[in-house]
Amino acid sequence: MSDLKREAWLLGRSRAALAALLLLFLCAGAGVALGLATVSRDRAAIDRMLAGQPAEESALAAFVDDAGYGAYYGFQPTWNPPSDLAFAALGNRDIAPTMLRIRALALEGQIYENEAANPELALPGRFDLAFVVVYLAPLVLIALLHDLWSGEREAGRLYALQATPAARRHIWGPRIVVRAGGVLAVLLVPFAVGAAITGTSPLRALAFAGIIVLACLFWTAVALLVARRGNSSAVNAASLAALWFALTLVAPAAAGLAINAGVTVPDGAALARENREDVHAGWDRPRDATMQRFLALYPQHAPGSALPPTFHWKWYFAFQHLGDLHVASASKAYRDGIARRADLARAAGWLLPPAGLSQAMARLARTDVAAQLAYQQRIRAYHTRLREFYYDYLFSEKPFGPADLATVPRFDPAGGM
Amino acid sequence: MTQMIAIAAAELRLMLRSRLALIGLAALLLLSGIAAVTSAVQTASASATRAAAQAATDEQFKTQPSRHPHRMVHYGTYALRPVGPLAAFDPGVDSFTGTVLFLEGHRQNSATFGAARESSDLVRFGQLTPAFVLQTLAPLLLVFLGFATVARERERGSLRALSAHGASAASILGGKVLALGGVALLAMAPALMALAWAALRHPGEGGIATLIALAYGVYLLVWVIGITAISALARTSQGALVTLLAIWAIVVVLVPRAAAGWAGVAEPLPSRVDTEFAIAADLRRMGDSHNPDDPHFAAFKQRILKQYGVATVDELPVNYRGLVGAEGERLTSELFALYAARADAIQLGQSARLETLGVLSPALAVRRASMVGAATDVATHLAFMNRAEAYRYQLIQRLNGLQVTQVSSADDRARSRDPLADQRTRISADFWKTMPQFQLAPSAPATRAAAMLPAMALLAFWLAIGVGLLWLARRNLDQTAA
Repeated sequence: MSDLKREAWLLGRSRAALAALLLLFLCAGAGVALGLATVSRDRAAIDRMLAGQPAEESALAAFVDDAGYGAYYGFQPTWNPPSDLAFAALGNRDIAPTMLRIRALALEGQIYENEAANPELALPGRFDLAFVVVYLAPLVLIALLHDLWSGEREAGRLYALQATPAARRHIWGPRIVVRAGGVLAVLLVPFAVGAAITGTSPLRALAFAGIIVLACLFWTAVALLVARRGNSSAVNAASLAALWFALTLVAPAAAGLAINAGVTVPDGAALARENREDVHAGWDRPRDATMQRFLALYPQHAPGSALPPTFHWKWYFAFQHLGDLHVASASKAYRDGIARRADLARAAGWLLPPAGLSQAMARLARTDVAAQLAYQQRIRAYHTRLREFYYDYLFSEKPFGPADLATVPRFDPAGGM
Repeated sequence: MTQMIAIAAAELRLMLRSRLALIGLAALLLLSGIAAVTSAVQTASASATRAAAQAATDEQFKTQPSRHPHRMVHYGTYALRPVGPLAAFDPGVDSFTGTVLFLEGHRQNSATFGAARESSDLVRFGQLTPAFVLQTLAPLLLVFLGFATVARERERGSLRALSAHGASAASILGGKVLALGGVALLAMAPALMALAWAALRHPGEGGIATLIALAYGVYLLVWVIGITAISALARTSQGALVTLLAIWAIVVVLVPRAAAGWAGVAEPLPSRVDTEFAIAADLRRMGDSHNPDDPHFAAFKQRILKQYGVATVDELPVNYRGLVGAEGERLTSELFALYAARADAIQLGQSARLETLGVLSPALAVRRASMVGAATDVATHLAFMNRAEAYRYQLIQRLNGLQVTQVSSADDRARSRDPLADQRTRISADFWKTMPQFQLAPSAPATRAAAMLPAMALLAFWLAIGVGLLWLARRNLDQTAA
């Protein structure tokens, strides 16, 4: 214990080391604070959407006298609430929407909409705890550990220190523990405060803290391996900074470039256009053929499927759905392409620890690409429930009035698959 | 002067002998080359894809069959944001925005399909583009190559020897700056070649490309001068390196992200749903075309009847439904424009905050100058959105106008009951061919150059700080020598 105390005292005497730790602490604190602010803003936006929905529905109730009107005009909210760890790893919640209002029309024309956001704010990346852990903490660890032995040698003390009995246990061990532990502490304390404020489940918070510990262990090990090689402090610092730079800045960007080049994602614009073409061509196609194709999917609606000679919503919603089916395989290929890219990036994370750790944090916080794709799947499942709810009215000619609006199925953010 | 050149030459010879320096430089040149080529290839392919998609959507619109004009209002069309002329050098926000906008009646959609949303999570680690290499990687290489440039001489005691040979502090520092500056020029070469390549393919972009190159030249010069000055001020090479790495991490990595995070929280943008709800509420206050007793549309009807000098809608020589459609579109579009202007002001305000924070980081200033010059900044995206919205309004009102003049009022009323009347409301497909097409020319280089000025002024400010540091270093060296 006295060894640790001595080393802590020594660390405290180094103004540069203290400044680095303080700066890291401030950054971690600011990262958590910004993360909490962003998450609470996300939650508030979702709450405003849910609070505003009744006004929209009562406006609709004023003129809805037919299930078709309800289905056509009735937008329903869907949302992807931030998890209890989102504050620590904001992930890509800024570039992919976390709220979307949809209606029973063809979904492919709705599901790719984007949230209003300033792209210049997304461009540099998020400032959150995950950023501090992946980018800044390694630099502070490098600053504190690169001259562990070379600094003493350059000060002329190394041989004397090595000669003390059990130097490893009494000097180097405690020194490493104090320095790496200091870095870990300034990261974990703000995280713990953020988790306490959010009410994060203890197990999940522990798992996230585990990733932070892993990140620090990785860079401590790298720094010590380089520091032991017997070069001068300046060479150690330069080598470690170059390693950090290659692993954190260059390699992930290059891997991203290679993955995007290697896995082509079908052109989304062409997919959306094809959907529109098919939906609008529905107006001009023989109506019986449309209904037959639809009834092959929904035979239970055959009894009520006879069409009047003029417009009827059941025909309209039938060709809307057929328009979605027309591009279903292209749409799946589009999603699969993105998922494949995400999978490859995860695989690359095993080779590139900074990328791997960052993705692990986003995955745990459910703010990664996979979480976005899962949200889209929930929207798709909900859209099916919404459509089928209206089909029951449209095909049975069951009357639909304002009171029925209250029975429209609601989105369940937790699942509803 | 000759002394300065001799010192610069000696420094360069030393770098040539250092394997680490050569590896670092070669790595940067290689990365830069890869970035230049992949960025050029990607930009060319994105540009071709979007131009082809725009042509395809225009063609599809023109070849629609005869139908009721309101069906065309819902059929709509797409606007694709053209790729900026210098995007191969600095794609800016291109990946982080949607690039395709569906234009239809009654609704204002968001731009969909951007590269970032189609990428893995690695996209947040930055994109390897020529601009990224110059903004982020090149300064770090200069730090590695230059941190010891003066500190080494001091540690070895060769500073004294230099002054004994009559070298002034100014010529020592000048020589070091010259040598490191030479390396910086070499490091810039592939990225600048990418810039020149992009400029050559777009006539008229040469001037603005030169200005962008100047911005990066000043930016890297700030680093060269700052690195030399700190190397001279530091007591040891190690101290110089650690200080410079800390400065680099703060200026290039920390401040840009923190600034963006702060700007987003300080000036929050309403969500899309917020805006949709607000517009819907405003519309309900202003006029509801579903409601036959609505005061706004009742007044509108009276105005139209008076204008044509008739007593009832049935006596109108034109199709009243088309007029109501156009009036409804006018009301919603006015609100779209109003709310878009507010949201634009917030986004531009956020970006202005980032620009101001260029006083904390020259990396922010050069990024701004580069994006503005390359027309890949948020203002360019907003200009696209606004141009597309203006086009949408014009197109929809033309289609509503066709409903007014080409579709008989009686048929239009009867079409939901009478299939024959429905047939008669379908107007000739030739009308679709007369509709205007969406076009967006990039903003004039002179406009962009003017918008670059604040960022350029910030870079000049940083240059002044660098020169001030160098002056301090000179005084310091003079004192040591004396």
